[in-house]
This record gives sequence, structure tokens and C-alpha cells, in this order.
Amino acid sequence: MQPRTTQFRQNSASALADERIQRNLAGLYSGFHSARIDASSATADWESLRARGHEIKSHVIENLDYYLNTLADSVERAGGHVFFAKDAEDASSYVVEVASKRGIDLVIKSKSMLSEEMGLNERLEAEGMEPVETDLGEYIIQLAGDTPFHIIAPAIHKSREEVSDLFTERLGAPRYEDIEDLTKEARRQLRQKFLAAGMGISGANFLVAETGTVALVTNEGNGRMVTSMPKVHIAIAGMEKVVPSIEDLAMFLRLLIRSATGQMLSSYVTAVTGPRLHDEEDGPEEFHLVIVDNGRSRILADEHLRESLLCLRCGACMNACPVYRKVGGHAYGWVYPGPIGAIVSPMLTGLSDGKDLPYASTLCGACKEACPVKIDMPRMLLYLRKELTQGDSYPEHRSADAAERLAVKGWRASASSDAAMRATNLAARLGQALLSRGGEISKMPGPLSGWTDHREFPRAQKPFRSRWPLGDDAARRPRDER
Amino acid sequence: MSQRDAFLSRISGALGRDRPPQLPPSAPPYSVGPPDEIAERAALVTDMMKRNADNLFATLAHVAESAGWNVARVPDPRAAGKRILEIAKDLEARLGVFSPHPIVRAALRADPFAGSGIELLPVALGLDESESPQRGRERLRAAMAVADLGITGVDYAIAETGTCVIIPKAGVSRLVSLLPPVHVALVERGQTLPSLDELFTLRRNDFMQGETRSYMNLITGPSRTADIEYTIVTGVHGPGEVHMILVG
Amino acid sequence: MSAPPDRRRVQLFVTCVVDQLFPDVGESVVKVLSALGADVEFDTDQTCCAQPAFNSGFWDDARPVARRLLGQLDPSKPVIVPSGSCAAMIRNYYRELFADDPVNLSRVNRLRPHIYEFTEYLHEFFDLDMISRLLSDSPSKDGVAFHEACHTKRELGVDAQPKALIDMMPGVRRVNLPQAEVCCGFGGTFSIKYPDISGAMLSDKLDCIEASGANVVAACDSSCLMHIHGGLRRRGSAVRTKHVAELLAERLKQPA
Repeated sequence: MQPRTTQFRQNSASALADERIQRNLAGLYSGFHSARIDASSATADWESLRARGHEIKSHVIENLDYYLNTLADSVERAGGHVFFAKDAEDASSYVVEVASKRGIDLVIKSKSMLSEEMGLNERLEAEGMEPVETDLGEYIIQLAGDTPFHIIAPAIHKSREEVSDLFTERLGAPRYEDIEDLTKEARRQLRQKFLAAGMGISGANFLVAETGTVALVTNEGNGRMVTSMPKVHIAIAGMEKVVPSIEDLAMFLRLLIRSATGQMLSSYVTAVTGPRLHDEEDGPEEFHLVIVDNGRSRILADEHLRESLLCLRCGACMNACPVYRKVGGHAYGWVYPGPIGAIVSPMLTGLSDGKDLPYASTLCGACKEACPVKIDMPRMLLYLRKELTQGDSYPEHRSADAAERLAVKGWRASASSDAAMRATNLAARLGQALLSRGGEISKMPGPLSGWTDHREFPRAQKPFRSRWPLGDDAARRPRDER
Repeated sequence: MSQRDAFLSRISGALGRDRPPQLPPSAPPYSVGPPDEIAERAALVTDMMKRNADNLFATLAHVAESAGWNVARVPDPRAAGKRILEIAKDLEARLGVFSPHPIVRAALRADPFAGSGIELLPVALGLDESESPQRGRERLRAAMAVADLGITGVDYAIAETGTCVIIPKAGVSRLVSLLPPVHVALVERGQTLPSLDELFTLRRNDFMQGETRSYMNLITGPSRTADIEYTIVTGVHGPGEVHMILVG
Repeated sequence: MSAPPDRRRVQLFVTCVVDQLFPDVGESVVKVLSALGADVEFDTDQTCCAQPAFNSGFWDDARPVARRLLGQLDPSKPVIVPSGSCAAMIRNYYRELFADDPVNLSRVNRLRPHIYEFTEYLHEFFDLDMISRLLSDSPSKDGVAFHEACHTKRELGVDAQPKALIDMMPGVRRVNLPQAEVCCGFGGTFSIKYPDISGAMLSDKLDCIEASGANVVAACDSSCLMHIHGGLRRRGSAVRTKHVAELLAERLKQPA
């Protein structure tokens, strides 16, 4: 997917102006967000699970070289192939090569955000192959030539009418009013593809180092199809997905699924360990695991950001984020939106291009509170802001503008002494006399005009410092004396 | 340098070292228990599964219902066979496929479908020795694609989440519980685990004992989606209707 | 080990927003503390906790201002802060700011346990009954919606304290505020960098406040209240904003 992180301002403005998107986004609070809160409170020891999840994933990330090495040995022992891909291009080429070698042209896919990151569909199409997304949301997105709006519910910005139009236009389907009919139509269309495809491509929710197992969490059943029907299965996974042992899955499945959709468990959890064994009834003859870096080692190398690799991709931080719930997933301009996206997208696609993202947060902390592995997103957003402004880690990406620098210098001067605070106060009170007579200020000049587009600006008062000491009769002083 | 070595050395570099360590510098924290006590842990689980069988069965019935299963409890395999027939008749089924798990064979032993006009087909290779595995797979897949229901046993059930666990092997296809629009799962008394933790403890112990399988499915209710307007629709790609029959 | 500090001798860090824009809140804090017998010190040379620059990424500019405050606060006496966000800045984020400065970092670490948000301090050192005895029935009957300011709640863990205080105030009914835990959209410089996103968030917040039926919306952070107040005035709403300290101060019995 081509990054459009530079366009955060424009894209968020158009989302704010789009009533339908605003309506769909409002559903996140009463939907996924509330469901997560219910599911986590129904789980015994939820807080200790989170703490343990944080601890185990941190351990893995701190020892990722060891665990990837172990994982690769385990997959090979189970009869699978492992390919380590430095970047998207490497990973896509490997997939193309495997498909070409087997003469495969129809490829079915279950939902993978990494595949979006890689632009895998475009690449397969360029090679004359037909990739078919089979998750309903992804299928809709693919038919529409769109990009995911949310990592769990990629097409949640589309109304049933739009999906119906799309199915009529692209599939020649009759016009359906009903969501159930639309879903049945997708089932019919995709069933043919499942039966005919030569290759299945899945993502991975977890990679188990000890056994070489890929764990997949799905609800529709397409993940089971993709990993069972075609003769070749390729799983693609970001390198951070490793957990040490299969015993850790119980806890991580609880954390992931309950945070993602609020279900106690998704309809299907599928554990794949290599290709089918000789005495098994069915399953693929070949299994490949493609482990992808694509910029993640840059994040790993930065101790302040490493924690973002703990992410389970549950989407809870998006649902909890009041900014995401206003601007939606497309505004962030890349695969990963919301608070975690504001950290990883700039790091994976270019920090200065994505410079607006770390600032697209009120630092309210709802993301950190929701995160099943307790990732401290506000801390990392603050760190990235610092790096973009005055940091030493990525000097080539520094990008604070002159007006902002000037404003900060002004603030610093006014906060330098008691006298400066008094002088600032006096200047403000003189200035506001020009802008309004008493009451709040309805129109501020310059960079503050945006503020007064939506709200009154408060008036400076005779400051507390000038009232001090308050005197013994403080309690009796008329309240509105200025 | 191989692709793998180059990749791993980049990761090691990001972590401030030359190459992957032979062992992690500190013991991994674990979520269930230490790896060297896995056999004892697994033995405790097996024992608990038997001792608490009745309680676990009762909890399972309750939780599975709320997870979207149609739950029925029957006294013995024969009654299970009758229940399957009722389900098939309600569906006006013409073809059912089944995995010849021992419990499914037992349920069908008295031939409850005799005279019903509903055909039942076992999904297993090698029943007809003259057929090649390749041909057998094609034939069975074609049957499963048009079958009205799929009947299976399970390896375990999980009370915490209302889940059936199926581990494909000889005689247990991946697809019987997936391709037909209706899935009927037979769960025996003594197969229910309290939670996900115990399942993965047993699986880890199996792995340590060298008993590996390529696949495991945890099935919790029907296939579903909420991808259009958050509206839940069942039966997207997998079965839209699922039955759990508790036997014993 | 030094002797345990005298908890009744407190320092006020009034914060720049209260000093310049809401001095009545500062006065209210002093009135309440004085009524409880606390001896309040205030250093007029204090300015700002440096959060605006810190949150914008200008850590090099934030540091001297933060260092100044750090030098003014005595790490042996409670510091009362009538703003959850500023208290969180000192308690939680000065560690980040001075991570590479061991001398100031150790000062931060000594000071941290003495930083109190106003209602947090009341709760920790006085029992509710004692506070309650100081209050008289207010002439006004208020329906109060409590806005759970983000940093007050999530950074400091202060939520039950102000609610308990509101609940014991005579003549006050605390109304249920839908989505009380959701950010009002202020976010400091966020509201200037992204005024429209911030405005959309504010608009939702105001809808919830108006739906609650409250005539007063209260919080422990004057910055959020400034934002909410600005939005309510723009709408022409009759709902007023008050800091919890103001609600308490206006109910204090007049000294005999």
C-alpha cells in the first residue's frame, strides 16, 4: 500500500465532513469498545493477564533473534519452509516464485494487514495471477479498490447500500437490501474460489517458537478454508508475532480476542504446524512461513519504541481513541491507524512524512488503558514528537515549523520569571480589550483562530499571583471582584 | 551468508549483539507453568478432566449455548444417533457426511438412518483399497461440498468458552466440520477441559512426547461476520448452524 | 531517615492556567485548605510546569522551565496542584524529561510522592466527615456532572476522591454523565494544531453534558473546564463549569 501519511490534515478534514462516516464511527463506542470492556470484566484476573502478556512479549522482543532462530528450526522440523524477507519486495517475490513454480494462478487469501503493507495483491496481479480476498470486509475493500478502514473490520465505513451497489456492479449480483443476502452472495461467489484455488495465503496472529505453529483467529471460516483447501499454504507474518510456547496461546488468545471483538473466543482458532502429514485426510502438501521485517528492525533498534512491537493488532486502541473515532482509519494514510498506527506507520514508512500522526492525539491515555499488553502509547507519541522537534535519534527527520518554534520561544520567555508572567498577563488583558468588551472572546487572530471557530476563548484575569497573599478575609471577599 | 543468517544478524544488531544467543539470557516468563513440569501438569489435567466430568459437562452445556451452539444432552450413543436423524430430517437433508470417530460410529451403529432416504457417507481414505488417495480426496471433497450436514466427534471440549476441539488425523478430515452448512459435534462425557490453559498444556505435552499433528481447530459456535454495519450474520463461509450433542 | 513531614504545611503550585485565567479556583483551593487548618505557602516566582512545550516535543525548551519549578518546590512538604494534568506532568513525565540528568532526576524522585492533585490531598489527609462539617447548605441546588478529566483519572488514578467529595456536598446531586471518561478534545496544543478534530470531540462532550440534565459540570482540571466552558458559551448553553474546589469553597460556612 502506498503511504499517504503526509495527507493526514486533508484526509481527517474530509472524514469530519462526511456524515455517513461519522455515523459509522460513532458505532465503535457502543460496539467494539463496550464489548471489550464487558469481556475483560468477565475475565478473571484480567489485569494480571495483561501484566503477564506484557512481560512475556517483552521478553520475546528483547530476545527476538533467539526466538526467530528457534521458530525457523521448528517449522522446518515440521516439514515447512521458512523464508526470511528483509522487506515487502523480498516477501512478495518469494510468494510469486512459489506460485509460479507450481503453475498456480488463483490465490485465495484470508485477512492479513501485512499483505496490505506489502501490496501483495497488486504484485500478484502484475504477475498475471488472481488474488482473491475472502474475509468479507477485505473482499468488499478489494472489489471497491479501497484500503482498510480498521484492522479488525476493514469495510466498516461502507453502508449496506454501497456494498449492494458494489456487488451489482462488480459481480453482476441482483440488488440486495438485506445484509444477510449480501453475505450469502459473497459466500456463493467465494465458495467457487475456495474449491478452485491452488494457493492459500494467510496472515498469522501468533507464531509459536517451540513447535513452529501458526495460530490464526477468525470468525467467518475463510481462514480454515485458506489453510485447508489449496495444495500450497503460505503464511506471512511480521517478525514480532512470536510467543515462546504453545502453552502461552491460552493467555494470548484471551487477551487478543476479548480486546478485539469482545467475544470470549472467536468462532475459529486454527493452529497450523507444517503441511499435512502423510496419514492425514486432507490439507496442503506444502507449507511456507514468510517472516517479514519491512522496517520493523528500525523500531526494534530504538529502545524508546521497541515496546510498540508488543502489539497484538487487536484494534482496541483504535476503538478507545476519541481521535480515531472522529477521523477514522483512512486519515492516517497507511495500513495501521489509530494510536498504535501513529507510532508504527511513521516509523515504517518515513518519520518526517508521517510527522502529523504523533501529534494527532490528546494524550488522553484511553489507548494505554485499553491495550491488552499495556503498551504505553502516550509515552511513545511524546518521544516521537520530541524526535521530530529537537531529538538526536533521527536528525534528518526533524520538522518543526518556524511559527511553532517562535511560539515556544514566546512561551519560554513568559514562563521565565514572576515579572514575565505579570507582563504577559498585562499584555493579554490589554489585547483582549481590543477583541471583546467583557465576556469571552469569540474571534482570535492568527494560529488561535481555529480555536475560536468552535469555542469561545477565555479572558485573562487579574492573576492569582497579584492577589497573593489573600488576607484573612479571603473567605468573605466578593467572588467576582476583579 | 544465507538469507536467514543475514536477517537474524540484523535483528541481533538491533538488539546490540553480534548473533543470536544459544539460549535466551534469562529464562522466559511462562503463562501456565515451567516447561520441565509439563508431564506432571498434563497428568493433573487428565485426572481433573475425569474427576470433574459431570460439572464440566454441565458448564459446557450452558456456555456452549450462549456461544451459539444448539445443545442437546442424550444418555447414550444410540440416543445421539436418533438426535442426529431428527436434525437431518428438520433440514430435509439428502446427504450427510461424517468423520468416523469412534463416538460417531457408535451413534450410527444401530443404523438410525435406515429407511430415512438420507444418505450418509464416511469421510476417510483407504476404506476402498482400490482407490488412490488422490482420487479419494477428490471424491470426498466433492461430496462434502454438496452435503447438507457434517457429523464429527471431538478431541476435547472447553467449558470456559463453549468450544469443540478437533485435531485432524487419519479418519478425521479438516473439512467435515467446515464445508457443509450444518455441523453436528458429538462430545463425550470426560472430554471437557475447564479452560484454554488445560488444552494447550495437553498439546504441549503431546509435542514433548513426539505426538504431533499438522492442524488443530477450536470451534466456538457458528461461522459469523459483522463486517457490514456491525450486523452479525452467521454462515459466512463455514456452517451457519451448529449442534453440540453431549453424550453420556 | 528524616522526621515525617508535617502534612498540614503545604505548598501551592497554582499552575499557569489557574493563575492567569481562573484565579478564583486558586482562591477557592486556599480557602478550603485554610478552613481545614492547613498552612498554605505560595511562591509567586513560580510559573509553569512546562507541559505545553514538553507535549509539543520541545523538550530542550521545557527543561529550564521545569528545572525552575523543581528548584522552587520543597521535597519535604505536600505540593497541592489544582490541575490533574499539571500534577501528572510533574509526577509522571519529569522522569522522562530529566532521564539523562541524574541530579535533577533524583530531585524529581524525591518530590514525586509529595505531588498531590487537590482532591487527592483532601482525601488522603482529612476524613470526609471533617470536611463535611465545614460545609453549609448552599442556597443553590446544583445538579453536577463530573467530567473525569483524562490525566486526573488515567495518569493519577484520581476519580473516586472528587466523586466522593461531590457526593457529600449539601444541596448537590451528582448526575450520571454519559461517556464521562471520554476526552473533551482539549489536549493542550492539540486544540490549536487540530482545532476541527478537537471541536468535533468537544461537540460530542457537550451533547453528553446537555443530555445529563446537569446545570454544572465539574472537574479537577481547569484546562478541560476552560475548553468545555468555551464550547458551552458558544452554544449559548446555560450549563456552567466549576472546579471541584470552587464547589467546595462556595459551600464553606462563614467563619463565626
